Amino acid sequence: MADRLSILIAEDNAADRMLLSTIVNRQGHRALTASNGLEAVALFQAERPRLVLMDALMPVMDGFEAARRIKLLAGDALVPIIFLTSLSEDEALVRCLDAGGDDFLAKPYNRVILEAKIKAMDRLRRLQETVLHQRDLIARHNEHLLTEQRVAKAVFDKVAHSGCLSSPNIRYLQSPYALFNGDLLLAAFKPSGGMHVLLGDFTGHGLPAAIGAMPLAEVFYSMTAKGYAMADILREANAKLKRILPVGVFCCATLLNLSFQRRVLEVWNGGLPDGYLRRGEQGDLVPLVSRHLPLGVLEPTTFDDKYEVYPLETGDRVFLWSDGVLETCNVDGEAFGEERLRAVFRANQEPEKLFDEIQQAVVDFRGEAHDDISMLEVTLVEEESLNRPPQTFTDSGLMGALDWSASFEYRARTLKRFNPLPYLMQLLLDVQGLRAQAGALYTVFAELYSNALEHGVIGLDSSLKRDALGFARYYQARSERLAKLEDGYVRFHLEVQQAEDGSGRLAVRVEDSGPGFDVATALKAQPSNELLCGRGLRLISQLSSNCDWPEDGKGLRVEFVWPAQA
Amino acid sequence: MSIVHVDATVLAALQDFMGEEYPVLLDTYLLDSEERLRMLREAQRDGDMQALRLTAHSFKGSCSNVGALHLAALCKELEEIGRRGQPDEAPTWIAQVEEEFARVKSLFQAERARFTG
Amino acid sequence: MAITSLPSADGKELTISIQGRFDFGAHQDFRDSYERVGTTPERYVIDLKGTTYLDSSALGMLLLLRDHAGGDSAEIKLINCSPDVRKILAISNFEQLFSIQ
Repeated sequence: MADRLSILIAEDNAADRMLLSTIVNRQGHRALTASNGLEAVALFQAERPRLVLMDALMPVMDGFEAARRIKLLAGDALVPIIFLTSLSEDEALVRCLDAGGDDFLAKPYNRVILEAKIKAMDRLRRLQETVLHQRDLIARHNEHLLTEQRVAKAVFDKVAHSGCLSSPNIRYLQSPYALFNGDLLLAAFKPSGGMHVLLGDFTGHGLPAAIGAMPLAEVFYSMTAKGYAMADILREANAKLKRILPVGVFCCATLLNLSFQRRVLEVWNGGLPDGYLRRGEQGDLVPLVSRHLPLGVLEPTTFDDKYEVYPLETGDRVFLWSDGVLETCNVDGEAFGEERLRAVFRANQEPEKLFDEIQQAVVDFRGEAHDDISMLEVTLVEEESLNRPPQTFTDSGLMGALDWSASFEYRARTLKRFNPLPYLMQLLLDVQGLRAQAGALYTVFAELYSNALEHGVIGLDSSLKRDALGFARYYQARSERLAKLEDGYVRFHLEVQQAEDGSGRLAVRVEDSGPGFDVATALKAQPSNELLCGRGLRLISQLSSNCDWPEDGKGLRVEFVWPAQA
Repeated sequence: MSIVHVDATVLAALQDFMGEEYPVLLDTYLLDSEERLRMLREAQRDGDMQALRLTAHSFKGSCSNVGALHLAALCKELEEIGRRGQPDEAPTWIAQVEEEFARVKSLFQAERARFTG
Repeated sequence: MAITSLPSADGKELTISIQGRFDFGAHQDFRDSYERVGTTPERYVIDLKGTTYLDSSALGMLLLLRDHAGGDSAEIKLINCSPDVRKILAISNFEQLFSIQ
């Protein structure tokens, strides 16, 4: 026996009403009776019956109007209305359906048929009830999911946007929910000047795609802040993702290292579509090709951190995008593709409008705007034009040692792989007086080290870097010679002294195993910034308090001083 | 062709189904029908063809439910007259309906009498 | 999308053919195609002749198969790649992990 239902009977004829309510009661349901439409609507509001048997033609308010009002009151819930009628014209039957009727019962009543119809309608009603219940459940789950995503995004934004994406030389396009599409965009100033920029695209969608973003961002920001080089960050990011992500989940990524002072771009692309470096007045396009497996695929032992190096000039632009741009489809299902992208570059007149032109071309192609693509433009500018925030430190620096010296000697096997700068910086930035000039300190140490390593230990000639071709050859030779390096050293001697009033000085002496060179001549030989070679020495002398060298040219002495604390 | 005034099988089924309520159903039908007749006459007097049609329609329904088949058929004719808007036709048919109802009423009263003894 | 797998007569090679789009929707079927075969093949051939599209989820699935087949010692050939499919595999540098023909 089906559940007991309350059933509203609206019928103006007393005998018919009595007959119907007897049938309904005999079936075990509860009959509510009304003798016209108005009564029926009032009774429906008061009792909320599950099903209605409705005479079409009644005084005061007819069944059609009553049906319409009841359906309106019922809202989403299905309250089946069976019209009771001996109407035979098609038009009248259509009116019943238009008014929201679900079925008909003709007079004279056949109670077997009425019983069957009530059962059938009740099944329909239950089905609708289930659907509504599930709909509400889904809506609640969805709401829940969105709330979780909002929280996750808020947390993630704190991490991701701690960087310098808002820097005036960066333009980007990214969906507010890109995180859940697996897209990731990070940018951070390096302590030595310039910036690291990463565009990543994790496999999949939703939470699985977002889960790897956090550790990757952590690695990127913390290592960049500590002065680690791009190769170190790549190795660590790959190792970490490989360790924590399940097989089959990985991150296609391009990492850029822009050095504004040295005018150099380093690029590592693992799995993202070709980006472009747009160079010089002519707008020559250099594709930034994927040469590696994505991050998180290879074991640390087989991971390849080899990157490409390009010289840059002020105004050169780097463009990166995830595959969303190239895969954007038009109404015919055709993909935007590389050729159309290159056509935008060819047609461009003013480079500063390129970013908008690409964006517009994609929108035009697709026929509507959308926000599920990630795109990035970084322009090489003068370092001074950027508003670098001062470095932040987690401790006060007041507990640091005040009077000490230390010497370090890095030998061949270390020089091949290890970057000693982050360690040295951490040591020196414990000295509070040096923190105010942290940026200069990084830059000078980076220059001192690369000068000692490249010109001293492995004997490269910086004049090679005079043009783009020589530039490439220089970096080629650098990695070849480093790989073959068997002996040699770079030494740092550090001495920190601080007076009672808080003023002090850091003296640095760098030596290397090279033959030494004539520093004075080298400095004179750097007539302008237009040359790609040897900006390093000039930087060092500009940024430090004092800079000199011994007669034999073997090594440099650099001093940083700081004033008494206010 | 003989005219069926009241279908005995319908009455038997109703008696079976309604049980103790059967005589009440008959009383209700008769009371309700008197009211319909009054409304028919009123509609005719006022020349209100729409009211005539609706009343005849409703009357037709209840007649069919209690097996008063000929009366139901006459109501249907009257409903058609109302629908077509032919006030001149109405009086003859109303007279026929009244005549037939009188017959049905006496048959039902006889049926009813079986339960009052 | 339809995925079929066919072991060779000696059971040493399993050929998996992918028709239509090879994307996240194929996830379960692709797994089943190598996990639910009675044999333990030494080599796998992925026939992409009828594959119209391949996305990064598909690359992930290929890595899962590689893992299943022994990781670095896995022998997996991807054959009949269309230029589009080949391009996607090339961008990801999957030729370092799979033999692509």
